[in-house]
Amino acid sequence: MKDSTRREFLWTSGLGLLAAGCAPTVKDYAQKSGRRVVVIGGGWGGATAAKYVRLADPSIEVVLLEPNRQFVSCPFSNLVLSGVRTIDSITFGYDRLRAQGVRVLHEAATAIEPDARRVRVGNDSLPYDRLIVSPGVEFQWEQVEGLAANQDRVLHAWKAGPQTVELARQLQAMPDGGVFVLTIPPAAYRCPPGPYERTCQVAWYLKNNKPKSKLIVLDANPNIISKTALFRAAWANYPNIDYRGSNKVVKVDPGAREVTTELGDKVKYDVLNLIPPQRAGTIAVSADLVGADKRWCEVNHLTYESVKHKNIHVIGDSTIGLPVPKSGNVANAMGKISAIAVVNLLNDKPVPPMAPGNTCYSWVSDREAIAVVNAYKIEGGKVVQIEQKLTPGQSEMWAQNAVGWANSIWQDMLG
Amino acid sequence: MPIVLISVLILALAGPAAAGPLDGPGASTAVVCSACHGFAGQSQSNTMPILAGMPPWYFKKAIQDFAAGKRTSPEMEPYAKQVVQFGLDDVAAYFAAQKRTTTPVTSDPAAIERGRQASAQCTLCHGASGKGDPSKGVPDLTGQPPGYLKNQMLLFKADKRSPGDAQLKVVKTLMTTIPDEQLADLAAYWSSVR
Repeated sequence: MKDSTRREFLWTSGLGLLAAGCAPTVKDYAQKSGRRVVVIGGGWGGATAAKYVRLADPSIEVVLLEPNRQFVSCPFSNLVLSGVRTIDSITFGYDRLRAQGVRVLHEAATAIEPDARRVRVGNDSLPYDRLIVSPGVEFQWEQVEGLAANQDRVLHAWKAGPQTVELARQLQAMPDGGVFVLTIPPAAYRCPPGPYERTCQVAWYLKNNKPKSKLIVLDANPNIISKTALFRAAWANYPNIDYRGSNKVVKVDPGAREVTTELGDKVKYDVLNLIPPQRAGTIAVSADLVGADKRWCEVNHLTYESVKHKNIHVIGDSTIGLPVPKSGNVANAMGKISAIAVVNLLNDKPVPPMAPGNTCYSWVSDREAIAVVNAYKIEGGKVVQIEQKLTPGQSEMWAQNAVGWANSIWQDMLG
Repeated sequence: MPIVLISVLILALAGPAAAGPLDGPGASTAVVCSACHGFAGQSQSNTMPILAGMPPWYFKKAIQDFAAGKRTSPEMEPYAKQVVQFGLDDVAAYFAAQKRTTTPVTSDPAAIERGRQASAQCTLCHGASGKGDPSKGVPDLTGQPPGYLKNQMLLFKADKRSPGDAQLKVVKTLMTTIPDEQLADLAAYWSSVR
């Protein structure tokens, strides 16, 4: 080791230790002096809620628990599969959220104690005045035979990150003439149009790079469940798509490279993307925030307070009962509305009635997109849809707007 | 009468104490807008206009035209109806009260210069400064994102924005005489003007 290198090493390792010593831990927040909101989950809902509580009332301390050190956006991640975007272009840190005064701890909540108003993180605990839970979705591995034992081999790529990169790699490595199988779970699941956008991106990639290859889509639902006519029109450009509705996959055998449908059909694959059935994130289930279905959480439509536990608000994909899709845009809106509700409740002020909105773009090629927008009102204390509007077709202009939307909303949630 | 007086007093007392960035009747509605238009309407993107500091007359006309389908936008039509539902005047007042910012999106200096040289055709209505004339219903062009300005000019040119609006006849006729490339240059120029 050269002297300069050794000096550098000692210097940087010293800095590393210093940083490790200074980095706040859960123990640092075991006591609370003023009012505190704890947020579980730093995705579309949670990161937004944490930021907006601070914006609405900087006197309230906000602690955000998020195990991942970086946020990877699910919207736009289908473009990573087709090679149109890089994973780096949809990956963001939490530093700007810290600059807003949010205490970001890269830990996972292990339990909630509603009566004591505490979140457990291993042996430590975090007291709160109000808790916002934005746990996203968890997969129901047991619903597909052979899946639980092969979680690492059968890719979902439905939480953007390493699996997205690995699925893109497998797609690129597939020989021309190969079969890519994409399976879609029954509704409700995260991002209703997402699998159909993915169908477009994989088909676009294959058409341009492996023209002899085929994409078989096995959909548990009877038909495309979102932007149906727009996707059908887009698929006219991709004769390599073999879409099969009402084909629920119930078994996977990675050794034989084969999936089996409910009807007993066996389908061979070279590359498989199996999107499993979903439920609310694990903490929502273990903390008894889910309803009788044991899958999703019912909430008050104005405050997002859980109907099961006081002072706990649930937002994002894990909620049910509002006429909204499980989308990033809706989670972002719920984050803001719940933050304002929580701040008003902590300040003994009335909660202003507000409804979320949904803006959802889907890329149908490398340069064209379609969109659906939903607006809502509050009626009788419930969120009610005012209108749904679709783009009249696909175009590059909607794709430009999609980029504008993404850049805006990533900033709205994270910095 | 006494009730009114008391209300005014309460409002006067409560006003300054509650002056957080998300207080006020329009603020809680406007947070839904920030997903695309940025916090407090300070858009960071190339295609969504800046709403911060927008005069209420223009904001309200835009929302009413979107809601009525005169300005066709599948994105804005539903949201415009939502804004009307929750109180158009409040939301307009909220954005008008926000600090006016200019777009962070920058353009090619050569395009800006070409746009500057061709900008006289705009100034007849929008004024030498491009700041518009509220008394004639002419909006401020300056500092808006270049992508937004270009798209609006293309919509005027194709008569897809407020078809049949007599007030817009002149601007639409003008647009048809300008090549698309020059519209992009004009957008770059007015976007750069502070």
